[in-house]
Amino acid sequence: MMKITIQVMVPPYTYEDLDTAIKIAEAAIEKGHEVSLFLFADSVLCINKNVKPIRIDRNIPQKLKEMIAAGKLRVDICGICMDYRGVTGEMIVEGAKPSGLPELAQLIYSSDRFISLMA
Amino acid sequence: MKKLLFVAYQSPVGSIWVNEAFRTAFGMYGEDLEPAVLLLDEACVALSKKTKPESLGLLPLSICHRYIKNYGTPVFAVKEDLEQFKVKELDENFSAKVLTKQDLKDFIHQFDYVIFM
Amino acid sequence: MALILIKFGTNNPAERFKLANASSDDDVVLIQNGIYWALNDAKQYTAARVYAIKEDFLARGYDEPDSKVPLINYAQFVELIEKHPKTIS
Repeated sequence: MMKITIQVMVPPYTYEDLDTAIKIAEAAIEKGHEVSLFLFADSVLCINKNVKPIRIDRNIPQKLKEMIAAGKLRVDICGICMDYRGVTGEMIVEGAKPSGLPELAQLIYSSDRFISLMA
Repeated sequence: MKKLLFVAYQSPVGSIWVNEAFRTAFGMYGEDLEPAVLLLDEACVALSKKTKPESLGLLPLSICHRYIKNYGTPVFAVKEDLEQFKVKELDENFSAKVLTKQDLKDFIHQFDYVIFM
Repeated sequence: MALILIKFGTNNPAERFKLANASSDDDVVLIQNGIYWALNDAKQYTAARVYAIKEDFLARGYDEPDSKVPLINYAQFVELIEKHPKTIS
């Protein structure tokens, strides 16, 4: 079992990065790994529970919420990045944690693997 | 101890990534991590003494200078990029080390995580 | 020896940098629009071994034989993540 951290930086729906991160996370969890997601910059928009995609599209916040609830995924969110985008603590899906660079540093230090999806 | 290289490659004026590369690098010192910053391609323009995002009302680059000095965060650029983007005078507050293109392969493989912004 | 992720196509300077400076013992995974690199022989642009995410490749209108590099699924991607403690991403 490894501890794997995935960092994302770009907004959901505009780009595919959250989808990629979720697929990597699912495949890693399937193999028994422990996965953390760190949301940086515009990617923090993906954790807003008020996000309402059209019906045929995927619901990324809901998907993340389910993965957190299943105890398989930890989601940390850059707090300053939230402030910059008007995302408050009340808006985020249950189980996700507003944090910051100290938590990212801790994740990078303690993880066996760290991958970042560049901006 | 893990060695980290944060790489920005987009312009320091008009995009946030040079600032974010530095901000993230400075945030690493609470753990046993050793960050460095590489300004690649258009990002190397950040090192010009005359580059001033604040002239457009954007976040200044100078907020990084104090931290670079206090932490001793290594900053790197590539000679060929500086030539291509005609960066004439380097702002000494970055204390940037200039690599050449042929150094880069060995250079990036020294790090545990190379994190492009 | 590192795992390298490529998510943009052939015009992106960062991706060109990563591929040009890769070593023969690195593994590259082409994800998202990075799959456009798979249309050409990897030897032309990198010393590393190159793989592409199959579903990202097929979703962009190509067939499996169009790829010049092996196509992998996410489970195989995770195996490469397991293999490499170092990442360039």
